[in-house]
Amino acid sequence: MTAYLVAVGIVALIYMLLTLGLNLQYGYTGLINFGHVAFFAIGAYASALLTLSGWPMAPAFAVGTLLAGLAAWPIGLLSLRLSDDYLAVVTLGFSEAVRITIQEERWLTKGVQGLPGIPRMFQSLGIGEYAEIATLALLVVVNAAAVALVVHLVRSPYGRLIQAIRDDEVAVEALGKHPARLKVQVFMVGAALAGLAGGFYAHFITYLSPDQFLPLVTFYVWIAMIIGGPGRTAGAVAGATILMVFLEGSRFTRELVPGVSEVQLASVRIAMIGLALILMTLYRPQGIFGERKE
Amino acid sequence: MSAKGRPEGELLPPGGKARSAKGAPVSAKGRPEGAPASPGATAQAARAAPPLLAATGLVKAFGGFRAVDDVAFEVAERQLTGIVGTNGAGKSTAFALVAGQLAPDAGSVTLGGDDITRLSPSARARRGLARTFQVPREFTHLTVRDNLLAAAPRTSGETLSSVFLQPRRVRAEEAAQAAIAERWLAFLNLAAVADLHAGKLSGGQKKLLELGRVLMLAPRLILLDEPFAGVNPVLIGEISARIRELNATEGIAFVIIEHNLEALKRLVSQLYVMDRGRVIAEGDPAAVLADARVQEAYMGGVI
Repeated sequence: MTAYLVAVGIVALIYMLLTLGLNLQYGYTGLINFGHVAFFAIGAYASALLTLSGWPMAPAFAVGTLLAGLAAWPIGLLSLRLSDDYLAVVTLGFSEAVRITIQEERWLTKGVQGLPGIPRMFQSLGIGEYAEIATLALLVVVNAAAVALVVHLVRSPYGRLIQAIRDDEVAVEALGKHPARLKVQVFMVGAALAGLAGGFYAHFITYLSPDQFLPLVTFYVWIAMIIGGPGRTAGAVAGATILMVFLEGSRFTRELVPGVSEVQLASVRIAMIGLALILMTLYRPQGIFGERKE
Repeated sequence: MSAKGRPEGELLPPGGKARSAKGAPVSAKGRPEGAPASPGATAQAARAAPPLLAATGLVKAFGGFRAVDDVAFEVAERQLTGIVGTNGAGKSTAFALVAGQLAPDAGSVTLGGDDITRLSPSARARRGLARTFQVPREFTHLTVRDNLLAAAPRTSGETLSSVFLQPRRVRAEEAAQAAIAERWLAFLNLAAVADLHAGKLSGGQKKLLELGRVLMLAPRLILLDEPFAGVNPVLIGEISARIRELNATEGIAFVIIEHNLEALKRLVSQLYVMDRGRVIAEGDPAAVLADARVQEAYMGGVI
């Protein structure tokens, strides 16, 4: 049971990193990114492939994070030319393109077969099951650092300006500022956080395949952000936690609902999350930590 | 009177503009009956130095519709100028051409003698040409104070590197800008609502907020798009007083689009009347508004 809770905690913290990144992009800057999973996948595969080819884990993580951030650069440039809805479509398309590339470039990624045997974090220390707890602890530290980074950023003049861009980009330009530079940077920083999350994911799951990077992951992150409250760092933290409670907690409802098979329950779980999201948007559209809008 | 609103008009050297606005107050093209005699004494006096703002032969068409059709106007340093006209006369489009939100099909805009026709809105703003919007574009979820601070020109604090590597420098600059913001908030009577989210302000307060925001740029010229629209009479008086004060003490010139002719007439020294994309009259406000053709075009003869 402890092992299970540690595993759930690790996944929750990975989602928290993803949500912090998306919240920076959408919650603070208003950039609609429906392709968040692509940067998660790039970070995961980059780190996995590098460690499998003998790299130590730390630089592999760094490269994965960096690559994810750089991959967001062209998308960030595109975001300058596209209005919200088109950007949503383009980012969604980008994430599918990344997934299909992973699937087809078998020489590199082994395609649908997947990449097995990715080194587990802290495995080499020979501390057995404590490796998972160490991973959990490291994730807590990394998330705390990410929160501190985001909070420092959004409270700075830079953060004020990205929120102004979210509220009215035309006005920002009329005031002598350059929204373009900030938008591209925020896209890259958010994607880098997703890439970092991808590294943790790869070395926790130890097996990667393209079907782990479906758009559903992006939408889970969106759900976490919306539940917590876009534009609220505490909201990203709470939202990811609540998402995980729903995803995992509903496993235990099986005993309460007789006559439902495991497979059926998986679908019920997603339906439950959908219901929670609908109730949320109806009764508290600003999210848990958001302020009520006028 | 050779190169009017035709495309080559934008190739005119800066000196070429001197010929335009005063020589033919009414763009001659297609409307040769001309304009009323233009008193325009203030602008005449400023003939020696380049005018603060000069627009020449501006054309902007949307599809087949010429929203702005060969428009020229001039604003001297420290001058208060009004633009009136019916809805759809092209006033806001002309503003967007001057401030850079739209690119003209033909014509040029100069600021202090420099051609700014091809500059981005933000580059124009940094040169001291600021504007407000007909429908206020406040940053809804920022506080009133943060709305002003977001507009503050900065050398640090808006780059990732300075935010993380030079926190002390960022704080010092922020403190200096905050002091300036407090001054404008007090000046505009917004100090009491400084910590409110801007989205919660009344229409008139939002107009003041937009004015405060552009004041952070220390501009030479402010374009105000309907500052009195939807504003209660008391606040209209207050906004007018502030405009006069800024003009007198800071030397800021204003160009004001407004439907409230009474309030505008008392405020400006020069008035342009637009109708169907053209300037049909310009000059001393009282004289222009008394002109029969203006009354006909603008109000169907009733003022």
